[in-house]
Amino acid sequence: MIDALLIDDGLQDEMMGVFGQAAWACFQCGACTATCPWGIVSERSLSIREMMRRAQLSVGGAGGDVWLCTDCGQCLQSCPRGVPVSRVFQAWRGQLWKKRTVESGLTPVLWSVYWNGNPLSQPPSERMNWADGLDVPLFDAKEHEYLLFVGCTASYDPRAQKAARALVRILNTSGSDYGVLGEQERCCGECVLRMGHRPYFEDIARANLEQFRKAGVRRVVTISPHCYDAFNNHYPDRKEFVSIHYSQLLLDLLASGKIDLESTPSSRLSFHDPCLLSRANPEYETPREILAHFDGIEFEELDRSRAETLCCGGGGGRIFLETLPDERFSNLRIQEAQQHAIQTLLTTCPLCISCLEDSRSAIQVENLKVLDLAEFIVSAIVPDGRE
Amino acid sequence: MAVSLYGPEDARQTVCVYLEHNAGRLEDVSLGLISKALELTSGSDWRVCGLILGDDTRKPAQEALARGLGEVISIQHEIMTRFDVSAFTRACFEVILQEKPAVFILGATPDGRDLAGRLAVRLRTGLNADCTDLRLNLETGQLISEVSGFGGGVIALLESPAHRPQMSTVRPGVFEQQFVRPVKSGVIRQIDVSLSRSDLQSELLERSVGERLDLSKSQVLICGGRGMHGEFVQLNALAEQLGGEVGATRPPVDEGYIERERQIGQTGVVCRPKLAVTCGISGAFHFVVGIQEADTVVAINIDPQAEIFNYCDYGVVADAHQVIPALIEALARESHSSHA
Amino acid sequence: MHEFHIVVCMKVVPKAEEIRVDPESLLLDRENARSEINPPDMNAIEHALRIKDQCRARVSILSMGPPLFESILRVGLAMGADDFYLLSDRAFAGADTLATTYTLARGIDKIGDVDLVICGEESADGATGQVPAGIAEWLGWPQVTLATEFQLSDDYTVCTARREIPGGYEVHRVKLPAVFSVKTASNEPRFMDFDRKPWAMEEAGVIVWSRSDIEVEDDLIGLKGSPTIVSGLEQAETRARQQHMLEGDPESIAAQLAEILAPFHTRN
Ligand SMILES: Cc1cc2nc3c(=O)[nH]c(=O)nc-3n(C[C@H](O)[C@H](O)[C@H](O)COP(=O)(O)OP(=O)(O)OC[C@H]3O[C@@H](n4cnc5c(N)ncnc54)[C@H](O)[C@@H]3O)c2cc1C
Ligand SMILES: Cc1cc2nc3c(=O)[nH]c(=O)nc-3n(C[C@H](O)[C@H](O)[C@H](O)COP(=O)(O)OP(=O)(O)OC[C@H]3O[C@@H](n4cnc5c(N)ncnc54)[C@H](O)[C@@H]3O)c2cc1C
Ligand code: SF4
Ligand code: SF4
Repeated sequence: MIDALLIDDGLQDEMMGVFGQAAWACFQCGACTATCPWGIVSERSLSIREMMRRAQLSVGGAGGDVWLCTDCGQCLQSCPRGVPVSRVFQAWRGQLWKKRTVESGLTPVLWSVYWNGNPLSQPPSERMNWADGLDVPLFDAKEHEYLLFVGCTASYDPRAQKAARALVRILNTSGSDYGVLGEQERCCGECVLRMGHRPYFEDIARANLEQFRKAGVRRVVTISPHCYDAFNNHYPDRKEFVSIHYSQLLLDLLASGKIDLESTPSSRLSFHDPCLLSRANPEYETPREILAHFDGIEFEELDRSRAETLCCGGGGGRIFLETLPDERFSNLRIQEAQQHAIQTLLTTCPLCISCLEDSRSAIQVENLKVLDLAEFIVSAIVPDGRE
Repeated sequence: MAVSLYGPEDARQTVCVYLEHNAGRLEDVSLGLISKALELTSGSDWRVCGLILGDDTRKPAQEALARGLGEVISIQHEIMTRFDVSAFTRACFEVILQEKPAVFILGATPDGRDLAGRLAVRLRTGLNADCTDLRLNLETGQLISEVSGFGGGVIALLESPAHRPQMSTVRPGVFEQQFVRPVKSGVIRQIDVSLSRSDLQSELLERSVGERLDLSKSQVLICGGRGMHGEFVQLNALAEQLGGEVGATRPPVDEGYIERERQIGQTGVVCRPKLAVTCGISGAFHFVVGIQEADTVVAINIDPQAEIFNYCDYGVVADAHQVIPALIEALARESHSSHA
Repeated sequence: MHEFHIVVCMKVVPKAEEIRVDPESLLLDRENARSEINPPDMNAIEHALRIKDQCRARVSILSMGPPLFESILRVGLAMGADDFYLLSDRAFAGADTLATTYTLARGIDKIGDVDLVICGEESADGATGQVPAGIAEWLGWPQVTLATEFQLSDDYTVCTARREIPGGYEVHRVKLPAVFSVKTASNEPRFMDFDRKPWAMEEAGVIVWSRSDIEVEDDLIGLKGSPTIVSGLEQAETRARQQHMLEGDPESIAAQLAEILAPFHTRN
C-alpha cells in the first residue's frame, strides 16, 4: 500500500496549523474507538485510533470515513490525552475541500448557505413563514431583552416549526421581551464548521457578529443547540453578547413563576440529551429541573443519559449525508426507549427530533411520541393542548 | 433601429409552421402547432403552410395534409439525415426570404430552439421563446405571444410590431391537436436548396435514446412511500403509462423494496419534474425538498391530516392501493377514447 | 501556440419568488429582490474550470449587465476564473435576445482569440435559452446546446461534446471556436477557493466596457436594437400550491385524477 505512505503536505500543515500539538498527544490507546457509537452500529467499525495515527503522520487515504464523525464528543470524554478528535476530523475535511474531493451533495449545501442564508435550499424570503398567524416581533434593542435566534431547521422544516411555534407561544404568554431577525436572519454557520470549511465559517461568523452588533444584540436565545454551541464556543471575539439555549430561558421563566403549569401530562416520559447540551456544553440538568416543576410526572432515565448520552446521528454535518439503515444511532435510541416502555421521548434539538422520529417510524413503535420540550410545556399551559 | 430583412409591408398573410418529425411521423408539438395555426386564421384568407426538412419527408408531409394543412413546403436533401443547426438554418432562411411569412412558429424542443435562435438573428427579427399561448390580430397581422419567466412567477405578452417574420417557439404540450378534415386540394411543394456536406456544422458520433435512469431529469415522477407497504407493481405500471419514472421516500428504500438510486429528497435525488404523484407519503421535509420544484404535485394519502397535503396541488384522501388501480384503468379508458 | 481561452457567459438574476410586478407601471420590480448568479451559469463555469483543471487554459467571465452584477459575479473569480469582462452601459439596457446576443458577440470579438464560449442552458428570469444560439450566429461559429461533457482533441482544435436530448444523449464533434450551452445540473459547481477569495472579491480588476469600448452599432443595442416589446405583464402565483382536495367515490376520484394526469403523458 504505497498510497497509504504518501505524506499529505496539506494535511500536515492543517494539523499543525490548527491544532499545533493536539493530534500529537494521542498515544494510540484506542479508548476512542471503543466508545465511538460507530463501533456499536457498524461492522466496518470506524477505527478512530487508526485515523488519529494517520492524522499524526499526515497520510490521507481514509476515504469516506472522514465524513462519518457526528461530532458527538463521546470520544473526547474518554480520551486520556484530551485529543479533540472531531476537530481533527474537521481539519481533515478542510483538506478535502481544498482538494475538491468532498462527498457529492455537500458543496450544494455550502452554496445554499451562501445564496440563501440557509443550508436547506429554501428561499430567504420565506424564512418567517414558520410564524404565520403568531405574534412574533422583529428585534429592537430598545424594547427587547433578547434576540430569539430561530435557526434554519426550525425556520423551514415543518416538524421543527412546530417546536418554534410552541416556544413563542410560551414566551408570549409569559410576557417575555424578545424579537427575531426575521428574513434578515442567516445561518449561524455551524454546519459549515462541522463539514470542515473553517474559512467560510469564519466569514459567516464575522458577518453575523457584525449584524448582531449593529442591531444592538446583547443576549441571544437559540432554539437549536447547534446555533448555541456555535455562538458560545466557536464565534471569535464574542464579547458583546451571551448566548443561551431556550431550555435555560424556560427554566428561568418557570423558576420565577412566569409560566403557570395547569395540567400534568399523564404519559411515561424520558429525555434524550442532545450531544451539544450534554458534553460540549454540560447543560443536562436544565431539562430535568424543568421537568421537576411538573407534579407527579412519570419520568425514567434512558440507559445512556446526561454526559453519557447517545448521539442521534444528525450532527457533524451528517444530516446532509445518507446513513445506511442499520447504522443509524437513533434506531438504538428508540429501541432503548421502547425497552423502558417510554411513551413520550422529549428532547431539545430539531436535528434529534428529525432522526428520532424517522427511526420511530422505521421501527414502528406505535405508542411512542417524540416531542420537543417546548411542545410538551405548551401542552401543559394552553388548555387545548397543542395547536 | 435594428431592421429585419423584410418588414410588415412586404410580409405575406401567412403563418408558417415548422414541422418536426421522427421516424416518419410528425412530432406531437408540430401537430399542436398545425391545429393552433388553423384556429388562429380560421375564416380569414390567411394562408397556413408547413415547412418540413429532411432526407425523406414524404410520409410526415402527407400526415400534415391529413391534419388539415393546405400546403406543405418540403426541402429534401441527402445530407439532411438528421437535424444539423447550420444546414437547417441555411435552408429555412432561404425559404423564409422567398415566402416572406408574417408569422413563423416552431416547437420549443431542443432542435426547435437551436434553429429558431440562429434563424432569428440571421433574419434580424424578434423571437418569443417557449410561449404558452399565441394570439393573432388578423387585421394588423400582429402576433401576440404569451411567455412566462421567473420560474413561472411572471407572465408577459410580447409583440414585434416592426419586424417580420414574427417568430415564436411554443412550449410542447401547450396546444392540443384537434381533429380537422383533411384538405382535398392540399399540396406538397418541393423547394430545392443548394447544400453540401460543408454546410453541416458538426459531426454526430453517437446517439442513444432510452435506458439510463436519471430521476432528476424525468418529467413525470410517481413516488411511493411507506404507505405503499412495499407494493410498487402498480406504481411501476402507472409510471409506464405516463412515460415517467418511479421514485420513493427513504423507508421503502431502506426496506429493500426499491433501489437506493430512486430515493428522492435531501439525501437522495432532488428532482424538478413537471408532475410528481406521491402515494402513501407523509410529507417529511427531507422528502419534500426533493420535489418542491415540481410544477404540479398530486398527493394520495389515507390520512387527511398528512403534512403532504400542504405541499400538493391536488390531494386525495384515500387508500392508494385502491386509487392507483382505478386510476390506471381510467387513464387507459381516456387514452382509448381520445384515439378513437 | 496561444493559450487556450474559454469565455463563460454569466448573468445575475433576482430570486424568482421575490420578484414583483408593479401593478401601476406594469414594470418588474427587481430592485427589492435578492440576487444571485443565474444557477445554470454555475454549471457553465464549472465545466470551464474542469477543462482548466486538465489543461492550461484561461477562463474569462463575460457578462452584460448593470454595475450591480460586478460584486456578485466576482464569485466566479473566486471559483477559479482568471478574468472578468463586464459590458455595462445604460445604452445596453432593455435588450431582448437579439440585442443581448449582438452585444455579447461584440464583447467576445473584442476579447479576441477565444476558443470556447460556454453558456448556461437558460436564465432563471427570461428563460428563453436563445442566447447561446444567438451568440453563435453573430460570430458565425458552430454551436452545441445542452452539453453535459467536454473532451478536447490533443491539439485543442476540436471539441467532442455529449449533449442531452429527451430520453437520451448525442455525441457531437465540432471544430473550434464554438459556442456551447450546458445542461442545468450536469455537474456540481465547486465552492469558492478561499485562497483566491480575497483577491477575487477585492483586488481583482474587472474590465468594464461601455458602448464605446466595444465596436457596436447603436441601432443594434439595448432597447433600440430589440424587435421585441412587452405589451403586458402580470404576476402569477405559482409557488403556492393549490391544495385542491378531490372529493367523491373512488370511481369519480379516479376519473378526476385521470383528467389531471393525462396531459402530462409524454408520448415517445
Ligand atoms: C438525515 C436524514 C436524511 C433523510 N433523507 C431522506 C431523503 O432523502 N428522502 C426521504 O424520503 N426521506 C429522508 N429521510 C426520512 C424522512 O425524515 C421521513 O422519515 C421519510 O421521508 C418518511 O417517508 P414516508 O412518507 O414514506 O413514510 P411515513 O412518514 O411513515 O408516511 C407514510 C404515509 O403513508 C400513509 N399511508 C399508509 N397507508 C396508506 C395507504 N394504504 N394509502 C395511502 N396512504 C397510506 C400514512 O398516512 C403516512 O402519511 C431522512 C431522514 C433523516 C434523519
Ligand atoms: C419574463 C421575460 C420573458 C422574456 N421573453 C423574451 C423573449 O421571448 N424573447 C426575447 O427576445 N427576449 C425576452 N426577454 C428578454 C431576455 O430575457 C433578455 O434579452 C436577456 O438579456 C437574455 O435572455 P435570457 O435571459 O432569456 O437568456 P437565456 O438565453 O435564457 O440564457 C442562456 C445563457 O446565456 C447567457 N446569458 C444570457 N444573458 C446574458 C447576459 N446578459 N450576460 C452574459 N451571459 C448571458 C448565460 O450563460 C445564460 O445561462 C424576456 C424577459 C423576461 C423577463
Ligand atoms: S482515546 Fe485519545 S489517546 Fe487514545 S487513541 Fe483515541 S485519540 Fe488517541
Ligand atoms: S465525536 Fe463521536 S462520532 Fe466523532 S469520532 Fe468521536 S465518538 Fe465517534
